Amino acid sequence: MKRMVIRQLIEKIEGEAELDYTFSEGRIEDVKINFGFYRGIEEILEGKDPKDALVITPRVCGICNHAHLIAAVRAIEDGYENAGVKIGLTQKAKNIREFTLACELLQNHIKWFYMTLLPNLEKYLKIVSEENHAMKATYFSTTITKALAIFSGQWPHSSYAIPGGVTCDPTQLDVMQAQSLLEECVRFFEQVVTACSLEKYLAIDSVSQLHKIEGDFGRLLHLLGSNGMAEMGQSYDRFIVFSDSFLSKAGKSIVTSVSKVDTRYVHESAQKGSVAKAVSYKNRLYETGPLARGMVSKEPIVKSLHKRYKDSLMTRVFARVHEVALLLEESRKLLKEIRVDEPSCTLEAELKLYEFEGTGTVEAARGSLIHKTTVNNGVIVKYDIITPTQWNLSHGNEKEKGIAVKAMVGSQSIEEADFIFRTFDVCSVCTAQ
Amino acid sequence: MEQQYKPKLLWLQSITCNGNTHSFLNHPELFSILSHFELVHHPVLESSFCMQELIDGILPCDILIIEGAFMEKGYLKSGVEVSSIIEHYADNAKHIISAGTCATFGGIFKQKDPEAISGFCFDEEEKTRRYAKYASKLISLPGCPIHPKWLSYVLLMIANDRKISLDALHRPVELYGYTVHTGCTRNEYFEWKIDAKNFGLKEGCLFYEQGCQGPYTRGSCNKILWNDMSSKTRIGTPCFGCTEPTFPQTELFHTKTNMGIPATMPLGIPRRAYLTLTGVVKSFKIKRFSERLMEYDR
Repeated sequence: MKRMVIRQLIEKIEGEAELDYTFSEGRIEDVKINFGFYRGIEEILEGKDPKDALVITPRVCGICNHAHLIAAVRAIEDGYENAGVKIGLTQKAKNIREFTLACELLQNHIKWFYMTLLPNLEKYLKIVSEENHAMKATYFSTTITKALAIFSGQWPHSSYAIPGGVTCDPTQLDVMQAQSLLEECVRFFEQVVTACSLEKYLAIDSVSQLHKIEGDFGRLLHLLGSNGMAEMGQSYDRFIVFSDSFLSKAGKSIVTSVSKVDTRYVHESAQKGSVAKAVSYKNRLYETGPLARGMVSKEPIVKSLHKRYKDSLMTRVFARVHEVALLLEESRKLLKEIRVDEPSCTLEAELKLYEFEGTGTVEAARGSLIHKTTVNNGVIVKYDIITPTQWNLSHGNEKEKGIAVKAMVGSQSIEEADFIFRTFDVCSVCTAQ
Repeated sequence: MEQQYKPKLLWLQSITCNGNTHSFLNHPELFSILSHFELVHHPVLESSFCMQELIDGILPCDILIIEGAFMEKGYLKSGVEVSSIIEHYADNAKHIISAGTCATFGGIFKQKDPEAISGFCFDEEEKTRRYAKYASKLISLPGCPIHPKWLSYVLLMIANDRKISLDALHRPVELYGYTVHTGCTRNEYFEWKIDAKNFGLKEGCLFYEQGCQGPYTRGSCNKILWNDMSSKTRIGTPCFGCTEPTFPQTELFHTKTNMGIPATMPLGIPRRAYLTLTGVVKSFKIKRFSERLMEYDR
């Protein structure tokens, strides 16, 4: 059997990765994913005030910094609760946090769709496009991050969520501005992404109705379907979600059965020859991200696609773009419900606890993000960050290949594998935090 | 018609979180700004050349943007030291822009290995050995992340062949002549020494209790607003001094004090002047500042 290893630098993901493809008999037999540089945020936090994590952990990643902030604040709040301090966030603070998080997911998904997926699909299929995809992406993402900044002060890298609530105290005028910006994004989704109203789009619940989707998303689905790509890129059909959100409750899904999870069974381990740690749940690997959320929550249209195409790139890609619609709809509700006369923060600013241990989870764009903080004598003695991409992009172990690796195995070319790899919304900075 | 020469723009990343890249993508006039340049390479946008071609080291470059902290040895891309790739292009570029606090002073990632990691030409405020070689073409744009409009200002000034006035740390004076305090909507509370009673309020200044570094941090965050909308201090988050060589400090949500007086004075204010003023101002009780700005009917 003739084996050949080809190393390729993959770029224009978040950062870069080097992939070693092992070919055998003209097909990819194995892939080793190598990430650049370990920045050591966890070590940097040791010895610091626990609240400093709210400023430092967003710097793990330029595109999901807000998710890190929310995970960090939840870890502190969980620690406070464990130490006997009741948190009791107001509905206003909860809604504002959920909304800003939704904005971050929205900008991520649209950037991924227009800047990663479409251009690479066109390249793979050798289609010459006159479209400026990046302009569409940045128009949408700039608009939605404006809405985010009304509450958070800025994006990227804000630190506006604090134990007990949020630092902002928006007026009705602020909320209305956010609503207008959100509606601008809804228009974009309706006119450019799907060419159908949000309401009509959300009523689609089976594969047989997919033809109702037009616009750029419809074109993408058509290209995947008509070029025999719908069943490519299948992995283990195992999914995991650690944080309750409106997108999904926490849980794991194996093939189609859903059961409970607990972060205590998450295990992180070093990987030989890589700066990124691998992560498993009870010694098994799981996919995390929008497809996982869709499977665990049994989202009808995702289940319908899964029934036909399993956990293929078609289902995976669909699940991420589909979340845009869900996030837009939920954001409308969140903003509408905000009562500006409620308190923003329920804990005193000077409250400081000296001993606690807490875990914070959040559904970030790429899946479940976990922060664990251990505080002794008023300073952080241990901080663990487990990012979504560590689940999807590890090499795996002796028994099993990693999630993305498994999806790439069997590909007939590097171009094909490269495209499958990108459907995971790869982020090297997160993976090698 | 003869095509006008467009300066060749190259964006390189070292030890980074990609925050500066994503911040710049938020510029509302991104594509009109980029139309003045030929994008040789960029971390996410479509560009003329791929990373491998860049590493092979044959590309022309007029303006080099560096994102991320710098390390001499041990950070490789495609088997080549990133430091040598950056230096190669820095040698050839006409302008070098250090985009963000990491590239400028070392920033957060410097804390991982303070001996080995620094900014490109500065290690906090100290000059690195590269300073002498590249100082004549260096523009510093600290910020964690960079403000998109700060970068566009510099790029358009270069495209229009205008001279950019710089301070001693090579920061454009038009952008860093202000403090973050300038334009803060809480200034009245600062003047009358009224602290914010808690987080989550419109009222009160964050300088006295909550750790705000705005009065001694250089940056125009409250003049050129973030995302065209707001700033940290406007929404009640303290300024963390992210544009400064000293970023990040510790206990960021808490003001360090000596006997109740802020340990660091507002920029350029002598302690005595500050204490005199505080004594006078605090002797007044102004009703308006003890009330909420607005009350909603329930």
